[in-house]
Amino acid sequence: MGQNRNKLLGLFIGNISNAIIHKILERAIQIEEIARRYGKEIANSFDIARRYRKKINPLGRSFPEKDVEEIKERIIKNVKSELGVRIARGYKGISLDDVEEIVLKLSRTPE
Amino acid sequence: MDQIYIPKNREGLGIGEYVIVRGVLGGEVRSEGEEIKSRRPFFYGVEEKIEGIKMRIIGEIFRIVDESEGKYENVIITGSFLDRGFGFNDVDILLVGQGGGVEKIKKKIESGIGIKGHVILMGREELIKGVASDPLYLLMLSRFVARKRTSYNVKRKINYKLLDFYLLKSKVLLSGFDELNGNEKYYLTRNMVAINLFVRGAKIGVEEINSMIKKIFELGAIEKIKENMIDKKDFLKKYKKFYDETFELVMRGVGDGTK
Repeated sequence: MGQNRNKLLGLFIGNISNAIIHKILERAIQIEEIARRYGKEIANSFDIARRYRKKINPLGRSFPEKDVEEIKERIIKNVKSELGVRIARGYKGISLDDVEEIVLKLSRTPE
Repeated sequence: MDQIYIPKNREGLGIGEYVIVRGVLGGEVRSEGEEIKSRRPFFYGVEEKIEGIKMRIIGEIFRIVDESEGKYENVIITGSFLDRGFGFNDVDILLVGQGGGVEKIKKKIESGIGIKGHVILMGREELIKGVASDPLYLLMLSRFVARKRTSYNVKRKINYKLLDFYLLKSKVLLSGFDELNGNEKYYLTRNMVAINLFVRGAKIGVEEINSMIKKIFELGAIEKIKENMIDKKDFLKKYKKFYDETFELVMRGVGDGTK
């Protein structure tokens, strides 16, 4: 059960991270209509994360504070690592400074 | 002069009499006030004959759009609705222009025809930009039925940052395999393959993409993905390999300084 929870938590974190990476890349591309054109596509990762969340205890209420902190840290690590690959390959205009702020904002959003 | 044969006992039509023949959606049908009520649709990249019932649905969609409050330059029907058979979930309808009333059109299609309409409204300029830079737009307009004659042949403009953004969408499959249904898996795979073909300057169309998918995953039929009948371990291994290759192609472009 514990192992399954960890796996689901990993998938949940992976999909939230993906959505945040999308958001940061969207800012880096600076094309006005991109958010309007692809808003639904970006929401896809959140949607899958939500599906995973529904399978992880505790259901119907927030994660315990300890879990929240761990999830936040793992998301930040994931996002920074994925964006770091791009920066190392010469991708300009990505700001890693926004990562913590976006994750923090997200953790305050009701589930 | 063309000849059409009808039973000789047809009431009201004598032998050798001149008649006007027109299709269901047909020709240019004029009312008494000479106002054009409907026109024959234009087919682009549609190789197989579209079933009669689907043609009636297309005609009905055109009528609903015509009678709506918005002013549209063109109406385009695309997507899996044009595939042979009736395996489609909804009808992809692209309204080209600046008109409003999309929600009303959606509702009318759903209540009047009984099928779900996925309606997108887009200005011509935005559409042209999309076709030039987005493989999925190119795919969408590789095969369509239009209300009016049109052309979207534009030169490809590769924006690697944009392609990286599109490709990321397909990464979801690697961490969401168990939660995605067959159609979602197919859509994300198609997105990745379309980007790969786009970067390499290859032709993008439903046939090209499906045959590439079959080759990568060694599948006999594309329906195996759509029906979620694939072996998870084998599929994910091949998917990850192709994703990494495509990501590498895109990153090479980003690194070369192309905006």
